Parts: sequence; structure tokens; C-alpha cells
Amino acid sequence: VTYKWLSYTLGVHVNQAKQMLYDYVERKRRENSGAQLHVTYLVAGNLLQNGHVCHKVAVVREDKLEAMKSKLSTIASVHVYSIQKALLKDSSPLYNTDYDIVKANLQHCSKFSAIHCAAAVPRTPPEAPRAPAPAQSPPRQRDPDGTSTVNGHGPRAAKPPPQQQKGIMGMFAAKAAAKAQDTAKEAKAEAKEAPGVSAASNKPLTKNSIMNNFFGKAAMNKLKASSVPEQPKEEKEAVKASVAVAEPESSPNTVAEKPVKKTESVRIQQKDKKSKMKRADRSDDEEERDPENVKKKRKRIKQLLSDSSDEEDVPPSPTPEEERAPSPPPEPVLKTELEPASTEVSVGGRKRKRKRVLKSKMFIDEEEGCMGKTG
Amino acid sequence: MFSEQAAPTAQGLLAPPSGEPPTFPRLAVAGYSDLSQPFRLGERSFCRQYAHVYAVRLAGMRPRLERRARGRWGEDIALRRLSELQEGEKCCVVGTLFKAMQLQPSILQEISEEHNLVPQPPLPKYIQPCDELILEDELQRIKLEGAIDVQRLVTGTIVAVYGREEEDGRFLVEDHCLADLPAPLPWSGPSSDRFVLLASGLGLGSMSGEALLSTQLLVDVVTGQLGAEGEQSCAAHITRVILAGNLLSQNTQSRDTINKAKYLTKKTQAASVEAVKMLDEILLQLCSSVPVDVMPGEFDPTNYTLPQQPLHRCMLPLASAYATLRLVTNPYQASLDGVRFLGTSGQNISDIFKYSSMDDYLEILEWTLLAGHISPTAPDTLGCYPFYKSDPFILTECPHVYFCGNAPRFQSKLLQGKEGQRVLLVTVPDFSATQTACLVNLRDLSCQPITFSSFGADSED
Repeated sequence: VTYKWLSYTLGVHVNQAKQMLYDYVERKRRENSGAQLHVTYLVAGNLLQNGHVCHKVAVVREDKLEAMKSKLSTIASVHVYSIQKALLKDSSPLYNTDYDIVKANLQHCSKFSAIHCAAAVPRTPPEAPRAPAPAQSPPRQRDPDGTSTVNGHGPRAAKPPPQQQKGIMGMFAAKAAAKAQDTAKEAKAEAKEAPGVSAASNKPLTKNSIMNNFFGKAAMNKLKASSVPEQPKEEKEAVKASVAVAEPESSPNTVAEKPVKKTESVRIQQKDKKSKMKRADRSDDEEERDPENVKKKRKRIKQLLSDSSDEEDVPPSPTPEEERAPSPPPEPVLKTELEPASTEVSVGGRKRKRKRVLKSKMFIDEEEGCMGKTG
Repeated sequence: MFSEQAAPTAQGLLAPPSGEPPTFPRLAVAGYSDLSQPFRLGERSFCRQYAHVYAVRLAGMRPRLERRARGRWGEDIALRRLSELQEGEKCCVVGTLFKAMQLQPSILQEISEEHNLVPQPPLPKYIQPCDELILEDELQRIKLEGAIDVQRLVTGTIVAVYGREEEDGRFLVEDHCLADLPAPLPWSGPSSDRFVLLASGLGLGSMSGEALLSTQLLVDVVTGQLGAEGEQSCAAHITRVILAGNLLSQNTQSRDTINKAKYLTKKTQAASVEAVKMLDEILLQLCSSVPVDVMPGEFDPTNYTLPQQPLHRCMLPLASAYATLRLVTNPYQASLDGVRFLGTSGQNISDIFKYSSMDDYLEILEWTLLAGHISPTAPDTLGCYPFYKSDPFILTECPHVYFCGNAPRFQSKLLQGKEGQRVLLVTVPDFSATQTACLVNLRDLSCQPITFSSFGADSED
């Protein structure tokens, strides 16, 4: 338990969290409850090093606290950094705890800090054409970690989605609705999601348990599995990625986004990617049928899911599509490949068959020709 | 700096929870102007020869050097071009230095088949006793000998040499001089304590848990989460953070994927991808609390040649939503609160280090200031854009703070010039190696290193 973790979890100022930790330690020690608590402290101060005075900030274990304090010529601050039951070998658990909690609260990471910067306000979205497109993605983002603004997003974009969402939700499963109604947290960078999906497939699974209920775990797993191998393809088809961006897999909620898709497809047409448009329209139509097929065979849903997730990418997403092609494969981009891939495969198969026939024919011809010659 | 002010309330947080803890507003930057416009390249065309850079450089610095020469050796000395030299006559010549080094990696030698040479592995230093100095001006060149330190000088420096020509065509040097410190800038710094944090070499992408925690501690101190109340109020005086390059570590370069077969590398992602994501998150935490200037470095995803262009903001989607993030060029020049900052990510200094006998980064930094040019070796051994109109690396005004990033250790010096210039020279150490950053106090141009540490598996030192 670090002071930062406590501060975010309880929603208190960091200084209060530090004091709370100290208080807890004191009380527990006075009670002599027997449970050994290990405390780490943060010490900061001036230290004479290499001939000049340098300001040192260090995290130290309790047993080294006094030693460190004596090394410093002036002590600037001392406070409790963390408390744990087990003796820590190194500081990586501390870092990991802090990292996780900060990641979970990225959009207001300075809320409980002691310094407020008036200048640090998120930018409003620059141009209009991009803004409406992103509007679609926000509802889909269900993870708590979403910065409220990303390039092209803004508080403006955030407002229409909630309304749209409410309308959509009414039409579909209540579960999906409940989740999607999360505050207008925009789909933040796929940057977040993509690694989430590719790296830790556990995360999306846990977070999107609703989807699991909806579509069945098998479907989800299959989807993930297929998305992972698709990932490298993304690197090949880099350029196409222009429109796609952030749709993390977690948006099986796509089903709910039907009407949203419609508007998206309109916007898609405004974009220049004709191939994508076609795909989008196609998948769009397929999705139309989706509500009816919701409970039908998993395969269909899976395919739809992939299509819809394809769809996700296609709609201009909030985050700048300038995402470099090779760069973090927004999972979704890969998804776009899913669809074309499947179609390609089928086409390829047909072609192959055709080829086979042709080849044999040619063979005969040649043979005949040969025979003819020799004969 | 911090410590004296913070000491009284040092132990304040070792107490039961008190009332509403104070929140300190961050000191706003009074005047900020980005002056790195000359370093931004618009349309880039590489069709030109690099010779133009030298011509422009010489033309730009000749007046200054002639003034210095007259001031040093007398008003009536003869200033000659190389083509006007007469044997035996004492005169002064202004020209560009060229150092002919045997060990200098030459692409022609590498690809020459008759030599059958294996490409030379990179050496820490390429100097040799048999190196020669040659002075070139617009039309001719002449070999230099005499009272001139061959080992110390590097190619591309504009010097004025005083001496005479010998019979066999060499120039015997009696004295030489560099351009010296440029004109001073008026000082209009702040009257109260304001700090700027300089850090470089964050080296994301390959760090262990230890180093990551140090980076997190740095972010925490700046955003005010760490430390007792006194320290937090001091941290609120940090008005800016400048990250001077090498935000990603060398390990993210992964150049071996170029050589491997495509089918082997299909499923791998570039290591820099993860690193950039981490960078984005760290920058987001910083940006929500303090204005940040991010300079690209040697291992960062931007162009290789100097001046390096800013990182593209699409790589940092989370952080670029904040107006406090500024992506700037390398080298970077800006005026903060009336104090002029100029600095690079260290490529120019480390290049000079390789080709000169100077070993100390601070010494090299000072030397570039005296030579009047940020990176004299630029087109020769360091990649550079073929300028032809003007050389933006010439120092025309003397900055108040001159820094270079990714130095092996922290050093700083306050240099006083003859014309009243006051420059703080800072070599910002590599954070991933030393866990040290620098705090510059704008009020009195003093600098203090700030070190972060955590405990590891082994005992503390």
C-alpha cells in the first residue's frame, strides 16, 4: 500500500494519505498486535556529493532510515511512503502498485496532488470534421482509464455521445447499456488499449465481463486469438491504417452502437478511403441484422463481432489517425484486416480451384502438343 | 535550494491526519517565447551539396573573427585571403579548419573493393598523433603548423590564424583565436525563485524496476505528490521541465530486424512502440501539472540529421491533449521569464568528444561557446541538413543558460565574459544511468542536481 494508491483509492489529498499511513503505523505498533508491518519512508534532503551539494530524494526501508537521515546535511522532508506486510527485496512492487493505480486514473492524475497548475487544461478539439467522428467512440470506451481529451476529442465531442448512447441503450441489452453509460470517457488512445489487448489479454477479459456474458467466453477467446495473429499483418498493411484507430477489442459493445454506426458510415463516406467505405458499408449491413441474431449461433456473432470491430476501426476515431502505421497496432486496425482477410481467403480459395482446373487443362494441352510433336 | 526552505516542516507528515492539506498553485510562467524557429525545417530538399554550409558559415562568421583578430593582434595587421598570401609576410587569415585524420571513418574506404577492408568498429576517440590541420577558405587550402593545438581543434571551426607562409607552402602559425563569446543579451530575469528542471536520457524501453521507480519519483516530485509540505511548496516553484533528448533508450533501436528475414520479424513489434507508450503516460502525468518541453535525442523517433525536428504529436496522444506539452526541436532555444535558454541533446558535444583531445563535457561545452558555433563538426562527422542560406548553428547572441543533454555526469559552471556576459553552462547527466536531473534557479543562475534513489536487492551505498 503506497501513499499514492491510498490517495487515489480513498480520494484524498496525497498529504492526508501520507498522514493516514503514519497514523496507522503508530496505532498498530502501539497495540502490539503482533503482525509485523514493514514501512518504507521517503527522505529528501541535501547531500554533499562529489564536491557539490546535491538534493537527494530516496525511498528507504525503515531500518535504513536513520542511516540515510544522518547522511543528509539538511533534511527537507520525511514521510511514510508505503506499508506492507512482507519485507520488500526491491522497489519494483512499489513501482508496480503506483503504476497500476496511476494508469487507472490517468485523466485526473493531478487531482490529489499538492500542486495545481492553472495552465494545464486539455485542449479543445481543433477541427470540426474530426470531432463528430470521434463522438462515436466515447461510448464504447468502458475502461475507467480514458483521458477525457485526446487529439480531436474534447469536451464538445463528449457531450453528444452520452445522449446518443442513451437512445441506443434503450434499444438493446440493459447490461450493455449499463456499462456504456460510463461517463463520457472517450476512447483514449488505442495506445492504451492495444497494449492491453495484445500484451495482457487478461485485462480486457476481466473488464468486459459483460461482453462475455453476452457473447460467450468462447467467442471472446476466439476473437482474441484471431486478433493476435492478425497483429503482424497490420504491419504489412500499414498505410490502410489511416482511419482506424482506437477500438479496443473491448468494444463488443459494438452491437449496441448500431445507430451510431449509421452515422459513422455517413461520415466514413466523407473520408477518402473507398475500400474501407465498402467494407464499412458491408459490415454495417451485416450489423443491421445483428440484433435479431444476437442469440443465434456463436459463429455468426463472432464473425459479426469481428466485422463490427472492423467497423470500429473504420469510423474515424478520436485519436489522430496519424498514428504511424507501424506504431502500436490499434488492435482494431488489425481487426480491419480480419474481414478482408477472410474475404481474401475465400476468394483465394476459389481462385485456386479455378487455377487447378486451368492447370490440368494446360497440362493436357501440352501433353497433346508433345504427343503431337513426337507422334 | 529546496532543502533550506523545506526544512522547518520536514517532519510534518509524520503525524495523524490533519485538516485540509494545502494545495499550492504552480507558479505561472511569466514570459515564454519559443525562439527555435531557425531550427525548424519546412520543406526539406537534400539536392544541395554540403559545401554551401561551410561557405555560409565562413561568410557569417568572418566579420566577427576579423574584429577579434584586430582587437587581439593590433589594428594594422594585414588580413589576407589565402589566394593573396605572400611568402614570408606576417598576416592574419580567417578560414575553416579541416582536420585530416587517419582513423576517421570514411565511407569511401569502406566500400572500396581494392582495400578489402572490414568496416571499422566505432571507437571512443579517433584522434591520432599524426593528424594534420588544414585551413580552408573560399578558394584555397593550406596546411597549418606551429603554435596551434592540432589535437584539440576539430573540423569545421572558423578560426583566425596569425603567422606567415613558409617556402614549402605551409603556414607557420604564431597565434590563433576563435570567435569568442557572442554579444551579451540583456538580463531581465525574475526576482523571485523560479526553477526549471532539466533532465535528459530518460531511457525508457529498457529499464529495470529500479530505474523506473526513480523516474516515477522524479515525476512525483515535480507534480507535488512527493515530499512534505515544504518541499511541495518549493516544487510549485518549478515553472518548466525540459527533457533534453534520449527519451527512449538505445535498446529500442532494434536495428537487427533489418537484417533478419521478414518471416522471422513479422510478429514482433518494434521495441520503441512500448517505450513510446510509456513515455506518453509519463508525459501525461507531468503535463497535467507543469509545462514540459520535449526535445528529441539520438535514439528518439525523429530524423537523424541535425537540427532534429520535434517528435510528432500523434505519438503522444494522451499527453498532447494538454496545452502544456511542447514538442520542440533539437537544438532548442527559448526565452523563459526573460532568461535565454539554449541547448542540445548532446550529439554535438559527444561528436566533438570523439574527434578532439578534450575529455570533459563541460570543457567542450565551453569551447563551443567560445568558438561561436553550436556544432562545428556538423556536416563532416555529424549528420546535418544542407543549409545554404544561413547556418542556424552560429551563435549570434549569448544565452543565459547553455546546456547539453546526455552527459556522463552532472557539471555546471558560471562563465563570465569580457563584455559582461553571464552564462550558466550545464551538462545534464543521463537519467537512466545516474538518476540525476538538474534544477536551475532562474533568479541567480545557479544549478543544483537532484538525485533519486530507491532500495534494491543489494544493500544501500
